[in-house]
Amino acid sequence: MKLPLPRHCFPFAGVIGLSLLTGCASTINTVERAAPVGQRQMVNDKRIITDSGLNRAVRIVGVNEAPGEFLKIQIELLNTTSSLKSFNYRFEWFDANGIQVNSPTSTAISRQIEGRESIFISAVAPVPTAKDFRLKLIDSTQ
Amino acid sequence: MKTHIPLRTLSVLGLSSLWLAGCASPQATYVDPGGSRTITSVGTINIQDYANAADTMVNSLIDGVINAGKLESPGGQPAMLAISRIVNNTSQHVDTDMLVKKIRVALNKTGKVQTTTTMGLGGQAEDPLAQGIKQQTEFLQDKKNTRLPDYSLSGKIIEQREQAGNVRQSSFVFQLSLTSKDGVAVWEEEKTITKQGKRSTVGF
Repeated sequence: MKLPLPRHCFPFAGVIGLSLLTGCASTINTVERAAPVGQRQMVNDKRIITDSGLNRAVRIVGVNEAPGEFLKIQIELLNTTSSLKSFNYRFEWFDANGIQVNSPTSTAISRQIEGRESIFISAVAPVPTAKDFRLKLIDSTQ
Repeated sequence: MKTHIPLRTLSVLGLSSLWLAGCASPQATYVDPGGSRTITSVGTINIQDYANAADTMVNSLIDGVINAGKLESPGGQPAMLAISRIVNNTSQHVDTDMLVKKIRVALNKTGKVQTTTTMGLGGQAEDPLAQGIKQQTEFLQDKKNTRLPDYSLSGKIIEQREQAGNVRQSSFVFQLSLTSKDGVAVWEEEKTITKQGKRSTVGF
């Protein structure tokens, strides 16, 4: 069955459709040094994905660490979609025995990532005895 | 005598009871203060904002001062920190300990920094009893045993509000400085938290 759309509506429908498409296509262009001076010390990671939609919008690219008395972790995230995404993240820390280290400042932090954008989030261990970490990511759309 | 209740009435009653049961959820519930289900309001500093600002400050302090080996203290003891003035330049009543205490606890747990509670701005001690005991001990031993703080922490909280149409925006700027005995700000950090919205919403 054909919809009774008047012929003179076609151009308007096209304009509206195009504007909707361009409204969604808010992506990021970047430029950087071709051969970076700094070399990242990458960490082998284990990922548990329970929200595939979030994993598309906030994809973990890699994890690297910096030497020091207090462990410093940096994680690169990439939005593989073309739209803005809001999410929350929280770091957890563990000592050499695998016991979680509590910190009074541990909290879920809200971030936004634009379409096709790559961002870094980082954290420093709250105590020198913290040897391991875990990053939790959650969609902030309620 | 048999009473016939029409099917429609039964259905309405059934749906109403289901609806009421749905509404009979608890009036209050516990939420994780560090989680993402806390209430967010545009015009006020929420509990997660203090934690977020404190987290940034502690991360920066550990990374920029402690990890960098710039923390100085006599004889390898933990550095002694005194809390100076934290100015509240916002339109709301703010207990600055919502920010400062979190930072103090986190620094104390590092084992590298301890805070004095017997020295305060204008001679006012945070713990007057401890100050009295310290003074009595010094009097009885007839010697001054005062270790001066190695660092002092000062700062300011600033608020900036904007509005465009129905959309309101609030920015809260948290600024802190760590000053050495020499009067040099050896570490400074600023964290801005910006929120937009029309009314209070749950979550970020």
